[in-house]
Amino acid sequence: MRAMLRASAPILVIALAACGTDPAPEPTEQIVVREPGAAAVPAVETEDSLIAIGKAAFNTCIACHGIEKGGANKVGPNLYGIIGQAAGAAQGFGYSEALTSSGITWTKEELDRYIANPAAKVPGTTMMAGAITDAGRREAIIAYIDEVSAN
Amino acid sequence: MAEAKKKKSWTRRAFIGAGVAAGGALVVGIAVRPGNPTDRLSPLVAKGEGEKLINAWVKIDADNIVTAIVPHVEMGQGIFTSLAQMLADELDADWSKVRILEAPADAKYSSSHIGREFLAPNLEVPEILEPTVSGSFLSLATAMTLQITGGSYSIRGTGQRAMRTAGAAAREMLVAAAASEWNVPVGELRTENSMILHDKSSKSATFASFAAAAAEQSLPAKPKLKSPKDYKLMGKAIARTDIPEKSNGSAIFGIDADLPGMKYAAVKAAPVVGATVEAIDAAAAKTMPGVLQILNMGDFVAVVADGYWQAEQALATIQATYSKTEGDGLDQDALFTRYATMLDEAGDTDGDVETEEGDVGEAFASAATKVEAEYKVPFLAHATMEPMNCTAWVRDGKCDVWSGTQSPLMARKTAAETTGIDIDNVAYHNAYLGGGFGRRSEMDVIIMSTRIAMATKYPVKMIWSREEDTMQDHYRPSATSRFQGGLDKDGKAVSWSNIHTHLFDPQEAPTVPYYNIANHKIRKIDVPTHLRFGPWRSVDHSQHGYFIESFVDEMAHAAGKDGYAFRRELLAGSPRHLKVLDTAAKMSGWDKPLPEGHGRGIAFVPSFGTIVAEVAEVDMTGKKPKVTTVYVAADPGFAVNPDGFAAQMESSVAYGLTAALYGEISVKDGAVQQSNFHDYPILRINEMPDVVVEIINGDHKRLGGAGEPGLPPLAPAVTNAIFAATGNRVRELPLSKVNFA
Amino acid sequence: MITLNVNGQAKEVDVDPATPILWVVRENLKMTGTKFGCGVALCGACTVHVDGKPVRSCSTPVSEADGKAITTIEGLAEEDGTFSKVQQAWVDEQVAQCGYCQSGQIMTATALLKNNPNPSDEQIDAAMAGNICRCGTYVRIRKAIKVAAGNATETQEA
Repeated sequence: MRAMLRASAPILVIALAACGTDPAPEPTEQIVVREPGAAAVPAVETEDSLIAIGKAAFNTCIACHGIEKGGANKVGPNLYGIIGQAAGAAQGFGYSEALTSSGITWTKEELDRYIANPAAKVPGTTMMAGAITDAGRREAIIAYIDEVSAN
Repeated sequence: MAEAKKKKSWTRRAFIGAGVAAGGALVVGIAVRPGNPTDRLSPLVAKGEGEKLINAWVKIDADNIVTAIVPHVEMGQGIFTSLAQMLADELDADWSKVRILEAPADAKYSSSHIGREFLAPNLEVPEILEPTVSGSFLSLATAMTLQITGGSYSIRGTGQRAMRTAGAAAREMLVAAAASEWNVPVGELRTENSMILHDKSSKSATFASFAAAAAEQSLPAKPKLKSPKDYKLMGKAIARTDIPEKSNGSAIFGIDADLPGMKYAAVKAAPVVGATVEAIDAAAAKTMPGVLQILNMGDFVAVVADGYWQAEQALATIQATYSKTEGDGLDQDALFTRYATMLDEAGDTDGDVETEEGDVGEAFASAATKVEAEYKVPFLAHATMEPMNCTAWVRDGKCDVWSGTQSPLMARKTAAETTGIDIDNVAYHNAYLGGGFGRRSEMDVIIMSTRIAMATKYPVKMIWSREEDTMQDHYRPSATSRFQGGLDKDGKAVSWSNIHTHLFDPQEAPTVPYYNIANHKIRKIDVPTHLRFGPWRSVDHSQHGYFIESFVDEMAHAAGKDGYAFRRELLAGSPRHLKVLDTAAKMSGWDKPLPEGHGRGIAFVPSFGTIVAEVAEVDMTGKKPKVTTVYVAADPGFAVNPDGFAAQMESSVAYGLTAALYGEISVKDGAVQQSNFHDYPILRINEMPDVVVEIINGDHKRLGGAGEPGLPPLAPAVTNAIFAATGNRVRELPLSKVNFA
Repeated sequence: MITLNVNGQAKEVDVDPATPILWVVRENLKMTGTKFGCGVALCGACTVHVDGKPVRSCSTPVSEADGKAITTIEGLAEEDGTFSKVQQAWVDEQVAQCGYCQSGQIMTATALLKNNPNPSDEQIDAAMAGNICRCGTYVRIRKAIKVAAGNATETQEA
């Protein structure tokens, strides 16, 4: 009996966690954009400019890289103003030794070669993903980075 | 026990039930509470016309297939196979004809045995009272909504007390039916490979052919369980039944739920726990492709879209503002300072006393050598490979929920409470868990996804990003622990005093009853933090294993003794404990010299009913510690599936080493700083040591757990090895914070 | 419309070309063996082959696979379900625990053995270091790769 009394605390923890739910609060704001199956809102007329294509293609990169001025590093470094910089220059990002010692300056051409196959260009880089084999998409992405950085 | 005495006329007969299902299938269950045979489960487990089930744990159908109904979830620990092994062995079933079914989320499958193990793990009960005790624990378990898999309890609780008894009862009833039909004494019959054999007359028949007749037999009052020499399946390294489907992509996890018309939700909760979402700017998100709904749920924001990637993309554009909370300004250093201040304030006498024996004050004051140390560990996240997720569909007064949880019944109840729908109209569907480790005993995802589904009215699969999974966990607490130890002039330990922050579970984690130290006193203080705590593989043993075994090593060093020899003295008189310690030392070649810069460390922690000693070998010649080999000696009483048990030891070494080397969740401005595997790294294959496991079957009557007990000794074995190699005593984890240069 | 070749079959999908292969395979093609783990190519749970090379499908847009052959875990076994050598080694060595990462592990191991039929321990560690297993099945993964390569010195009792 002593054992039962002494050990009653953990069960209580579990029980409270289970029973402590209040009636579920409803959303404080519910924006219904459309119902399932309804025709999608017509996409805004897409521009065919290289920069517009690059902006769309950059969606591949944004899981790891921010591009806004002064934006934080994520899994990868922030890319604002990267063109013309030395490799490994973003403040506060933990680069691989391979990249910091690569001696690369990120010209558009170097960047193009890198994102075509990061591991081949800089063996030992921690950039595991993001190889873009389509030369046109690479050109557009680089044009977009350049454009954002110029503003 | 007063209540139990009143009802001691209960017998074991009362809690075994049997019945017939479609096609003449025999079903046998342990109706744990006397007098409750019922067919309420029939619609859930037995689908065939006329099928009846009584808390079934086993079903034998017309084509001689034995189905083991397992009331636990499979999260990698191999429990489906091991529990079925226990049942099939007692039944003498042909393993190739055994199938496994996870029990539905129903109160009848509440883990009374878990309730019992939690509350009174060492309660010895006379045979006659056994059913009454189990019955009272079922009531308790039902009340507590426990149908959980955790605490390393499945084998030693459910397996030992229910699966084996059900198998043995079914076997006896089949034999009785055959004896009656063939008109021969029961004693002349034997069973083997799902067959009943009468050697004298060379008669034989399948179990199936007597299934219907067996149900008519009187229920065995006390089925005879096998003794270990007769085990055919228990103790064998039987291949796990779930591995083939986990090797070809066909295994279904919670995240793989698929429904017609299902949509996808990405979510982001307020970064500081307790804050609410005051306002959102969703202007950009509204125009993004695939977006259906944007929801401010008060405590989190959700975007529902045609695809998950679209939902995530739109969610990333939403700007939210959050309410202020008391946790806002808090940083990790301040939290540790808070622990220190409160420990200072508790002094030598305050705090809650957990155990006390002798007079530590007097013993420490008069000790020839005094040792003092303080240790710290950080918060830890679970980081299951499958991120948190849940799929829900709420419509027309009904609710269906799909996920992978350690507590299916609680999930069902939670969905009912959240939606306000009667529990009979709520169905919970469990799948494989892509890692549990305690994280999937929490109900947060069930609540969130049913709330989203209530708003949309169509089925929605909510998936957390890895970032959410890391930042919104229920963490292993960060903690500080202080020790004072006294040694007499011969270097014998005479006093042990400890005060630490937090106590979660299990209660005995900070205690050392197995060590012979005449005077000891252990206290704890509660320190409020706003982060959520949750059970993390081995729970409090994960930090106290490190604290205790580091301090034992420091005392050994102060006594001028070897860590192994010192522990031998502390365990004198406990042969079972000593055997485990000696085995680990012997496996490692404890006395053999190692190269310069290498070290060996030993640690010993009994937990969850299993005694474990580990020796780690560490190479300190590089920039950071490299653990080369870990020797694990473990006594779980009896290993039902030795290969599965060894796998759990290997797994615990990897999980524990991840924590020792890297594991750190820290708070800045009230929010968790880590977000993904780049800043919360997980051990990778190139860092994985060799693991050598030796199993000792020390007591086949009292089994221990497998999933957790391998973890607590790992960190101290490693840090003690680092001390042996370098003289550098690590008093704070993780090791990545220590400069070894 | 994008035309994909998945496990030898032509599939048409109507998705944004920037959508990662992972979500197209899981949601549009309903092949759920490929898993989401981290979303940023750090854990390897999502590994598939594109033209025989292992790629992290969570971070590779589907447009990258246009005109190329995608192989997923569902495409490794023979048509009658017979496991590939690597898959069979995974079963024989009892590798999987929770099993969530194992599709990715098997895809990476398969690609390794294609390029290097007899990898050393170091080569195995180097090739497999991008795939996290939280259950810590690494000891058995090493063993299974050697068994599949046919250079294991012993096999365990199954």
